[in-house]
Amino acid sequence: MDTRAIKKLAYMTLGAAGIGLAITALFLLSRTAQNSEDFDRLHIVILLINTAGIVVLFALLVANLARLLREYRTHVLGSKLKARMVGMSATLAVVPLLVVFYFSMQFINRGIDTWFNVEVEKGLDDALALSRTVLELEMQDHLKTTTKIAENLRETNATQLVFELSTLRQESGASEISVFGNNKQIMATSSDFAADYMPQVPTDEVLLQIRQNKPFISLDPLEHGNYQIRTAVVFGNRSRPEALRIIQAKFPVTEKISRMANSVDSSYSEYKRLLYLREPLKRTFILTLTIVLLLSLLASVYGAFVLSRRLVAPIQDLVEGTIAVAKGDFDTRLPSPTRDEIGFLVSSFNDMTENLSKAQRQASLSQAQVEAERTNLEVILARLSTGVIAFESDLRIRLANQASGSILNVELENRAGEYLSNIASDHPLLEQFIDAAQTHLNAGETEWREQIVLRGEVGRRVLTCACTTLPGDEDHIPGFVVVFDDITALLQAQRDSAWGEVARRLAHEIKNPLTPIQLSAERLRRKYIKTMSDQEVQVLDRATHTIVEQVEAMKDMVNAFSEYARAPNIDISTFNLYKLAHEVVDLYRTQESDIEIVLNTDLMLPNIEADIGRVRQMLHNLIRNSIEALENSDYKGRIEIRISKSKIQETEVIEIVVQDNGPGFKTVSMSQVFDPYVTTKPKGTGLGLAIVKKLVEEHAGSIEAENLDDNGAMIRIKLPVNEIAREAMMVMLSGRREKLGGQA
Amino acid sequence: MPATAQEGPDHIGYFDVQSVSSSLVDGVHELDSRIQIVLSDEALEALNSGVVLRIEFNIEIIRVRRFILDSLDAELFISHELEYRPLSQRYIVNNINSSDQDSFATLYSALNHLGRIQRLPIIDDSIFESDKTYRARLRARLSTKQYPALLQALFFWRDQWQLESDWVEWILER
Repeated sequence: MDTRAIKKLAYMTLGAAGIGLAITALFLLSRTAQNSEDFDRLHIVILLINTAGIVVLFALLVANLARLLREYRTHVLGSKLKARMVGMSATLAVVPLLVVFYFSMQFINRGIDTWFNVEVEKGLDDALALSRTVLELEMQDHLKTTTKIAENLRETNATQLVFELSTLRQESGASEISVFGNNKQIMATSSDFAADYMPQVPTDEVLLQIRQNKPFISLDPLEHGNYQIRTAVVFGNRSRPEALRIIQAKFPVTEKISRMANSVDSSYSEYKRLLYLREPLKRTFILTLTIVLLLSLLASVYGAFVLSRRLVAPIQDLVEGTIAVAKGDFDTRLPSPTRDEIGFLVSSFNDMTENLSKAQRQASLSQAQVEAERTNLEVILARLSTGVIAFESDLRIRLANQASGSILNVELENRAGEYLSNIASDHPLLEQFIDAAQTHLNAGETEWREQIVLRGEVGRRVLTCACTTLPGDEDHIPGFVVVFDDITALLQAQRDSAWGEVARRLAHEIKNPLTPIQLSAERLRRKYIKTMSDQEVQVLDRATHTIVEQVEAMKDMVNAFSEYARAPNIDISTFNLYKLAHEVVDLYRTQESDIEIVLNTDLMLPNIEADIGRVRQMLHNLIRNSIEALENSDYKGRIEIRISKSKIQETEVIEIVVQDNGPGFKTVSMSQVFDPYVTTKPKGTGLGLAIVKKLVEEHAGSIEAENLDDNGAMIRIKLPVNEIAREAMMVMLSGRREKLGGQA
Repeated sequence: MPATAQEGPDHIGYFDVQSVSSSLVDGVHELDSRIQIVLSDEALEALNSGVVLRIEFNIEIIRVRRFILDSLDAELFISHELEYRPLSQRYIVNNINSSDQDSFATLYSALNHLGRIQRLPIIDDSIFESDKTYRARLRARLSTKQYPALLQALFFWRDQWQLESDWVEWILER
């Protein structure tokens, strides 16, 4: 049994004891009210029971009050309401009780005081004095009679004493006359009583009086309210003490006087007794009334505690249940209600929580389904190569997939809640994207499609965008979702394909007639040179020479196109790029040129698995491109080639950087740097970088071109070091590549 | 004039059994005792105000037993009522048991009379077991049982109304 249960049991026991005592006291009071003898007999018991009841109730009250105070201080739910109810109930019970008590006290004090009256008291005193005076006169008469009898008997001898005494008694009206000797022996007696009646010997009181030579006289109350006057005198020769005699006489008081005297005596005594008992009676009544008041008062206050506890308990349960519901605990059920309004309230609460619980379970189920769908959507979005950005009308990101960040060259996937405008400040592609989107949104277009071109440092990026509205929900305001694809590579591939077709047609259509043209020109020269004058020979010679040179030039051009358009046939081998780079660079260093060529290679450069011929051509084309860019410059040209080991997302690559201090790429042509026939140089076919790009892509590598801050251009190539790295690079680029393949 | 309470501190009064003895006379045990009765101021004031005082002598006859508790075989109450009669200015002593009534001019005489027990037959020896020893004990006390309950409750808490002598024991001679 826990402490709380023990306490509850103790309280219940005390309460039961208190109630039992109170009921017992009431029962006894009820019985004693009907029977005064019972009341007298049980009064002390009743008082003790009531006192015990008061003690028990007081202990209960103190315990309840202490508990209420503790609950109030610790802000236990419902304690304030309980305190208020106890206060109100106690006030309602205590005030009338105190009023009744006050008036009862007044009534007792004044009621008892009205029993006594100064005039009554004086009247009684006078009546008593009058009665005494009357009786005193009679007593004195009887004393004189007794003295006279004593004188008559002075000379009477012992034998005549009895007869004389009888005569004198009858004459005097005494009921009894006795003569005693000095030692109290009876010498003679005469009375109205039976013959065997023994006369009363003189008491010490009588003897004491006699010895003082004083006659004795007294008024003796008898039974049944009668009185008798007793007298005693001494007679005989005082010189002989042994001869002294005592005569004791008893005279009845008449019945009428006795009755009146007794009435006065009784009334006076009763009045005095009441006067004496006035204060004790008051105190007793007040004590009893106080006990009853205390019992009633304590019982009322305790009842207030019990009542308030019972009333507040379901309210406390309701408050606790409400708090639990507010915290999301919908499984709260309150104890079985009673059948009153509070019970109805509790029952309604239980119904409500049950409904809420069901709704919560349904909501949880729905939420789980939504979460599952959301997860599926996230998986799908993550796998999509298409960029998806959902944002609210204030450009706050609601959702963005990984592809969107890849396309716009900014990490967006985990930045939900941030404003696109804030992120875009450092990312020009995203900034242009937002500008393009806002153009439509500001125009009120909520559903739109457009192909937009974003311009970056590394070239342009072409996106196809589709936008639609996104309804709002509890957490979000309405917004938009933009789905976009990077079709730059697709367009590039289409362009490459077109150029390849052009190259093939050129090779086929143009290269074939060139040889006959060249041969025909040489034949013309041989056939007619002999028949012409010297002047005409010079003309012919110069013309045919020009034809032959131009045809050769056209052949070179056609060969270059053939090289660009030829089918990929990679011959992968493992070789040392360091060595290859040095061989290529040495070729250009041997040529007479003012251009400085610097080669920086990593000493720990690993061997690379690639087509050595293609890589050599890449280096040739890049160096030649830079040299051509630096020709005709009025300052000392410088080409720096750096080859180092690098990583792209844990994938090992070799980075080849070729940079020069030439004029750089024209910004307008940055997006078309790698297109065929795009050149800013006075010389050149425009196929150099296009071929390099083609070669790099054949190796699943990447190539970037950019202008340096101070004059110059830089080409950065990243080639996978081995087959594993190549496959990894292909996976990284798979989205775009696969898409390219699919769309192609 | 009735006796009045003395000036000064309250006199709480006392009952004291000064002497007690019994003798076997003609097969009856007779009691002789001398008891000093001094009333408290409150009791004296009540007496003079017309309240009747009841003075009880409680006599118990106890059979002595060897190994177990002694047995109370007989109990005797001798009750007297003492009252003051204002008309005759005398103190009346009523023996409740015998209905004898005596009057006295002074309280001293009345109390002296009350406190003197002479040859009071208390028990017949024939009812005793011959081979047993009996002891008797005597106590005097002021009784308040005759008063109304309210007064009893009040007197219950007052020392001056709790007048009672100690028990005085003696062996009944046989």
